Amino acid sequence: MLPSTLRPQCHACALRQQIRHASLLRRPKRPYSFTQLITLSDGSTFTHRTTSPQPIYRSTKDTKNSALWNPSSQKLLNIEEDEAGRLKRFRRRFGRGFDAEAMEQGEEAGEGAETVDQAQQDESLLDLIAGYGQAAEKTGEAAGVQDEAKKSGKGKGGQK
Amino acid sequence: MNAAPQSARRIASANNAFFVDTVCFSCRNRLSQQSRRHAATAAAVSDPPPATSPQASSRAAAPIIAKGPRKAYRLMAAPVLSRPPLLTRDLNSFEKAFYLYQKRLNERLAMPFSRYFYYNKGTPADPEWKRKLQARKTPSRDIGIYDAYGNEGWNDEVLVGDRTGERESVVEALIRDAEGKSIVEESEKDQGAVTAGDAQLGEGQRRETTKIEVERPSSRETEADRSGDVKSLNRKLDRTLYLLVKNHEGRWRFPEDRVYGRENLHQAAERILIQSCGINMNTWLVGNHPIGHHAHHYPSQKPIVSKISANALVGTSKESEKEEFGEKLFFMKARIMAGQPDLGSNAYGLQEWAWLAKEEVDGRVGRSYWASVKNMLVER
Repeated sequence: MLPSTLRPQCHACALRQQIRHASLLRRPKRPYSFTQLITLSDGSTFTHRTTSPQPIYRSTKDTKNSALWNPSSQKLLNIEEDEAGRLKRFRRRFGRGFDAEAMEQGEEAGEGAETVDQAQQDESLLDLIAGYGQAAEKTGEAAGVQDEAKKSGKGKGGQK
Repeated sequence: MNAAPQSARRIASANNAFFVDTVCFSCRNRLSQQSRRHAATAAAVSDPPPATSPQASSRAAAPIIAKGPRKAYRLMAAPVLSRPPLLTRDLNSFEKAFYLYQKRLNERLAMPFSRYFYYNKGTPADPEWKRKLQARKTPSRDIGIYDAYGNEGWNDEVLVGDRTGERESVVEALIRDAEGKSIVEESEKDQGAVTAGDAQLGEGQRRETTKIEVERPSSRETEADRSGDVKSLNRKLDRTLYLLVKNHEGRWRFPEDRVYGRENLHQAAERILIQSCGINMNTWLVGNHPIGHHAHHYPSQKPIVSKISANALVGTSKESEKEEFGEKLFFMKARIMAGQPDLGSNAYGLQEWAWLAKEEVDGRVGRSYWASVKNMLVER
């Protein structure tokens, strides 16, 4: 009886023989790894394996203090507080071109004719951005070029 | 169409494994009765072919007409609101021993730590590292004192009762290292021997200038665990908690109600959640399919004529009267992200609510209800 390695193999036939030749494997060179304690921004901790020799890693920006991942959190809402009316005065003088991008979106929603009803609140964030961009385009308020891609739903304000 | 009855009868032959697995008991009975009936009529008309041959019986048979349910049941939905676990589970002793052994084994299998890549010569971090390394003989902090390349490298197993592999001691060792202390408390005598380098230049000596205090992580057992507060979502952080409510009869069940008008189970479950627990909960109803069901037949086979009033929140519901032989309740899976139930203005007369783990649910609900519910609840 021929050993399995010398048995003739038929390439046309569906049955295939196992090939069990011994082959040389190089010894893997794996870097040295440590256990590290990761502390997230809300104080929660977990350990993981890493090549970094630091015992503790303190994360300052992660899912725990991101508005997208904590929609119910009041602390992370981006609400502008215009206590002394200085922002309003600035805008009266210099326009809205210097506003942060998030503020621009909020203002477009305020000026837009459509009211945000229950159904719209359930839409995803990207749909909302796309919707506002298209609405602004229609009413001719958005100056500058607007891409067709959904990402740039933010109007470009007064800047050229 | 002859294809449907043909395939149905092929499936209906009792020795078909596919039939037994995918068709429910009552439908199987109905189909086999019908096929037997049609085979019998075919036999009466012409010379009887064997009953098991589908082709022969299909030629003479009438198409199978699906009949509706003969008895009406009250259709109900119940959201199973759950808070998933916030912490990973504790390791058992085998896992701890295994992981400790694997980490010590890794010392000998991985490349040695390239310390000058991270801690340059002449920087203050360098003697710090050297001092800490002297104490524990290995760059790792979670395997205790173990020198893989020394004379005692063979001695990689720890004694029974050793706390080196425990999660708490690993975290404690990491924090002590961050504070600049050695991972284990050393006696005063050893500390003298541990210092390395030139004593005159102050190398290797630890000067007590500022004490770094790193805050320890909070315990996995919270205040709510200790006090047994079932209304808190902070209890049993490594388990799934389910919302149970006590209805007007005093029974503990998931919040439930009838399905009105043309709403589907998903919509019904959302409405029930709001009507029973208020709107101050950030919840998510997962999917349109139920995760379980509970059927209750009214005793002594007598139907109850129930007057169904229109529900204000369901636009398509109408007032009607229906004779019902029992209740069929479907459970819908939901998750809570934030908020708490508020039974202040609930429409069902609910008295109390609680967040309970699976075995605690067992303790509170009735036996037949538990039999329907237990397989859809998660152990952890």
